[in-house]
Amino acid sequence: MSDDFHKSAERLLAALKVEGISPTERGWLDGHLESCARCAEHAAALGRAVASLRSVAIPLEPALVQTTQFRVRRRARELREQESRMHGLWFSCALSWALGVLSAPLLWWGFQWVGRHMALPDVAWQTAFALWWAMPAAATAAVLAGLRARAAKENGIQESLRH
Amino acid sequence: MSAAICWFVNSVSNAMEHEGQAIARGLRRRDPDLLDGLIERYHYRLLRYLHCLTGSRETAEDLFQETWIRVLERGRQYDGKSKFEAWLFTIARHLVIDLQRRRQPRFLDLLDAGSDGQPEPRLEDQPSALELVARRETSERVGTAMTDLPATYREVLVLRFQEEMAIEEIAEVVAAPLSTVKSRLYRGLEALREMLGGTKI
Repeated sequence: MSDDFHKSAERLLAALKVEGISPTERGWLDGHLESCARCAEHAAALGRAVASLRSVAIPLEPALVQTTQFRVRRRARELREQESRMHGLWFSCALSWALGVLSAPLLWWGFQWVGRHMALPDVAWQTAFALWWAMPAAATAAVLAGLRARAAKENGIQESLRH
Repeated sequence: MSAAICWFVNSVSNAMEHEGQAIARGLRRRDPDLLDGLIERYHYRLLRYLHCLTGSRETAEDLFQETWIRVLERGRQYDGKSKFEAWLFTIARHLVIDLQRRRQPRFLDLLDAGSDGQPEPRLEDQPSALELVARRETSERVGTAMTDLPATYREVLVLRFQEEMAIEEIAEVVAAPLSTVKSRLYRGLEALREMLGGTKI
């Protein structure tokens, strides 16, 4: 029998396990295996390899499930608390921004009045107004940066504890 | 007959999609009960996958816990369109790569190059002591052969023949083209056959 037949049979045997073969190919393969002891042994060895792979068992550990569930619940609680803190912060920012927008015209007039009353150049009171306006945003940015740095530090500590 | 098969396949597909959506909704809410259920449901399969990839029970258990923490933290990224287990195994795989990057950079290069069909053990089917010993010996023999296989082959073999994943799903998990996955499966299977030789199971 030609070596090509054996090679084709081996290729089809592997394909049968990996992705399946057509009925025509299956018919040819079955016929070949009946008449070729070498390829039949190859098929048996391949079958044993797959069966052994499927038979791999590991001992079940109920405590692992409970420990994992406990850790996941604890982490979920931490995340909820973090989110709740962040919601409060975002609400404060939004409120501050809305109040800032609403009071801007009034403040503008106030700064203008003070600037003219004190005979300051326009650029001076306008700069003061701009700083006043930017202060809440700068403060918020500073708080957010601080929170992020703290969270990164806590994560780093947790990561090093895990390993 | 074929209409009945189509109807059955569609029903199964719809049910799986519906289940994926339900899991995605629960993960968005970080529903602790859903997560408890998922941990129990995928306990054995995930641990076995991690054990096969890492070759160490202790490491597999650590990564098992880390995987679920990651699922909780990144649950909002799961859209429910793909199968949950494919997403879960992808997360686990990334954690294995991260760990190996810290421990052994070569492993990363090897791994990066590139359904519920499997019945889970049932507690009521208690095997005899002799069967347990035989199973353990077989597992140890296969385990040894598996650890000798390159990591890229090992992981696709585990996903295909232990997790019974479709080749498309494996490609999704390992982030590789279909042709690469098939090639790894063929080579891995051949290597395993040669390693196990005439072992009778």
